[in-house]
Amino acid sequence: MGAEEDPGPLVRMYAVTGGRARPIGEAFDVVAVVTTLGMPYEPVGLSPEHITVLRMCVRPTTVADIGVHLRLPLNITRVLLSDLRREGLVSIDRPVASAAAMNERIYQEVLNGLRTL
Amino acid sequence: MDYARSETLAIKILVAGGFGVGKTTMVSAVSEIQPLHTEELLSDRSAAVDDTTGVEMKLTTTVALDFGRITLREGLWIYLFGTPGQDRFWFMWDELSIGALGAVVIADTRRLNEAFPAVDYFEQRKIPFVVTVNCFDGARRHSPEAVRKALALPEHVPVVLSDVRDRDSVKEILLTLVRHAREHAPSLTA
Repeated sequence: MGAEEDPGPLVRMYAVTGGRARPIGEAFDVVAVVTTLGMPYEPVGLSPEHITVLRMCVRPTTVADIGVHLRLPLNITRVLLSDLRREGLVSIDRPVASAAAMNERIYQEVLNGLRTL
Repeated sequence: MDYARSETLAIKILVAGGFGVGKTTMVSAVSEIQPLHTEELLSDRSAAVDDTTGVEMKLTTTVALDFGRITLREGLWIYLFGTPGQDRFWFMWDELSIGALGAVVIADTRRLNEAFPAVDYFEQRKIPFVVTVNCFDGARRHSPEAVRKALALPEHVPVVLSDVRDRDSVKEILLTLVRHAREHAPSLTA
């Protein structure tokens, strides 16, 4: 970079997404669960961050935890995740409200889990 | 392990209240991890787009988002999100509150009025919430009924006295919230 001014962390972050600020496709929640469906044979077009996500989400992981692990803001993380979803490499659960997924059995499980914490 | 067979669900609970009221302290008290920190980028629409970077929006600042996690079992988590306190970050609340199971509003009896915006917010959006009065050492003690009256809370909203530094105390707040959400979730009462 030499004597040039540092373009700043925001510009560097956007370099990760090729300048894209918005994820592709259906919106997903900050606690949506991401699961790796497969590793590509040839990771052409995938960044190191994409590969990190694929390795990480072999165990189902939330968007928030992925963002923390990548040390990237959530909107950037979402762009990367939407890339992987488009390629069929990850599934993203619960694109809508997790509260709507609650039922009596899960409520009981949550209450019991909290009591024995 | 066959994850496809077990149901995975991350439950979102918001922790709100005025600046410095103890949101991060409460999250720390029950989280299995040090509160995690992530950021969301904010766009400033009044700023010109910088063509040289190819960035779609001009991004000027970031807002910090702190959260903690409780693993109840493999594939079942509670995430606690401390909501940004400043008014200009209301839009972040909008995103966080979608699909949230409920919210905890922490009130400080010395400045109860700071709890009003959060109470109004969750009431308007019909998000189940409980109010907890943080009774740390030296703070004046108020009866839950006095706080209910001061905040004009409806009868069904639980008010819990607590010490948000204390793990058992925070567990009790969360248990109260989950029970309350089960009874009053809009999807179940609609």
